[in-house]
Amino acid sequence: MDLIMQFIINSLIAGATYTLVTLGFNLVYGATKFVNMFHGVLAAVGGYTVFFFTQTIGIDLWVSIIVGIIGAGLVGFLADRFIFSTLRIKKASNLVMFIASLGAFIVLQAVLAMVFTSQFQSIVHSVDSPRVYEIGSAAITHIQLLIIITALFSSFGLVLLLRFTMFGKAVKAISDDEEVAKIIGIDTNKIIGYVFFIGSAIAGIAGILIGFDTGIQPTMGLAILLEGATASIIGGIGNLYGGIAGSFLLGFVENFGIWKIPSEWKGAITFSVLIIFLIFRPQGIFKK
Amino acid sequence: MKETLLELKNISVHYGGVHALDGVNVSLDEGEIVALMGPNGAGKSTVLKAIFGLAPINSGRVLWHQQSINPVAHEVVRLGVSFVPQGRRVFTRLTVEENLEVGGFIIKNKPELNRRIREVMQIFTVLERKRKYKSGTLSGGEQQMLALARGLMTDPKVLLLDEPSLGLAPKIVKEVFQKIKEINERHKTAIMVVEHNIKSLLEIVDRAYILDKGKVITYGEPQALLKTDILEKVFLGKFE
Ligand SMILES: Nc1ncnc2c1ncn2[C@@H]1O[C@H](COP(=O)(O)OP(=O)(O)OP(=O)(O)O)[C@@H](O)[C@H]1O
Ligand SMILES: [Mg+2]
Repeated sequence: MDLIMQFIINSLIAGATYTLVTLGFNLVYGATKFVNMFHGVLAAVGGYTVFFFTQTIGIDLWVSIIVGIIGAGLVGFLADRFIFSTLRIKKASNLVMFIASLGAFIVLQAVLAMVFTSQFQSIVHSVDSPRVYEIGSAAITHIQLLIIITALFSSFGLVLLLRFTMFGKAVKAISDDEEVAKIIGIDTNKIIGYVFFIGSAIAGIAGILIGFDTGIQPTMGLAILLEGATASIIGGIGNLYGGIAGSFLLGFVENFGIWKIPSEWKGAITFSVLIIFLIFRPQGIFKK
Repeated sequence: MKETLLELKNISVHYGGVHALDGVNVSLDEGEIVALMGPNGAGKSTVLKAIFGLAPINSGRVLWHQQSINPVAHEVVRLGVSFVPQGRRVFTRLTVEENLEVGGFIIKNKPELNRRIREVMQIFTVLERKRKYKSGTLSGGEQQMLALARGLMTDPKVLLLDEPSLGLAPKIVKEVFQKIKEINERHKTAIMVVEHNIKSLLEIVDRAYILDKGKVITYGEPQALLKTDILEKVFLGKFE
């Protein structure tokens, strides 16, 4: 019974983490229709920015966190300005965009490794162990609870933004028909730039929280991206609600899967779920 | 003498080796309705796209109030020109009301935006009843009305319509043309409307241009055009 409680908690933590990745991933996909691999490395950018400002420069943790979030947002925004928007104007195919984003991902990941070494590091080296809350004999750390709460708030915030603001309606219009969006006066390139900033900032938040929970490594982006992309596809790519549903479904399947199977097979579970969906329900849970 | 609002001077548009437009001259005066007619692939849509900077202009000029402009899609609407493109293209993920809202994207004043929504809903009463529906659930005719209404949100001086009758039953086509005439008369909106070969359109227009293979074959008042057999010739592919 207690074991089940712990599995549920672990599933929720995983689902919340993936949600933080899918939100931005789907937001960008919705507006641009390309699978943005670069999204993954933004988590690492968020984590390392906080690491750099707290450890190397020695700035207050909260300030560093804000800088980390904005930093990830800016890096995503600049990648769009200099790479993706340039390609969009040249009418590059989605495959070209995909490859370009993968290339940019690898380059930035290499830069992070050169600057910070490829070692595993923790953002804070606090001596005292993290605060832990107990639910029966199951446990959740302070940071893990924060991951769940942040995922909840980010999801809500983004849904409200899209539903009730002119910006949100413009994003949906662009997602429906970019040319007509231009015709009615929407500067689509500018709006897509904002979309990259917002989506990337949320990826930064994910990276920072993961960094606090387990630590950071330049290569952390790939694992995060693959989980997030899988959750998005399961949910219905480009659909925010689908991404959230897919994230939690994946979180539960993975964590209950390793109940009976050794945990090094978690990746195999993830991709089995992906393949099953691709075969039987390629449009995802939330059909678009 | 009426003022010329919009003018295309010697416009050529080439897509690779395809000459979609070849030295086309077209103009639109204050308050008039002008038709662009011609067979498939004549270049009718390209004329409207060129005005919005959505077609690659190789040579020639676009004039707005006699001034040469370099059209950028999201800025042309700010001049007072609206474009309702071919194939309806309503935003299916948005409701009828939200389609109208984004149609008024350039209106930054919220009460003004709401006033415009009410006004266009008065012209297209069917939209009033379906304001909360996702626009993807509307019928073809209703979607065409929505596309028209969305184009009117900015209270444009010039309205560009690309095949508003496409895929509609004859009865609905009449209704749409009626609305177009009504908009023109009530608001003095100058309208450039593209159609294939619909004689009933000629009943509501002041002038018509006949296009074929990227060139203007002839233009003039509808009565004059109807007296000749030029329309039949062009549409049967017998024009050389
Ligand atoms: N994006 C494009 N790339 C290449 N060729 C194009 C493009 N758009 C239009 N064309 C070509 O330009 C020519 C004119 O096209 P246009 O769409 O203006 O014709 P139209 O008169 O509107 O025809 P229809 O009545 O079928 O809508 C056609 O030969 C078309 O194939
Ligand atoms: Mg056309």
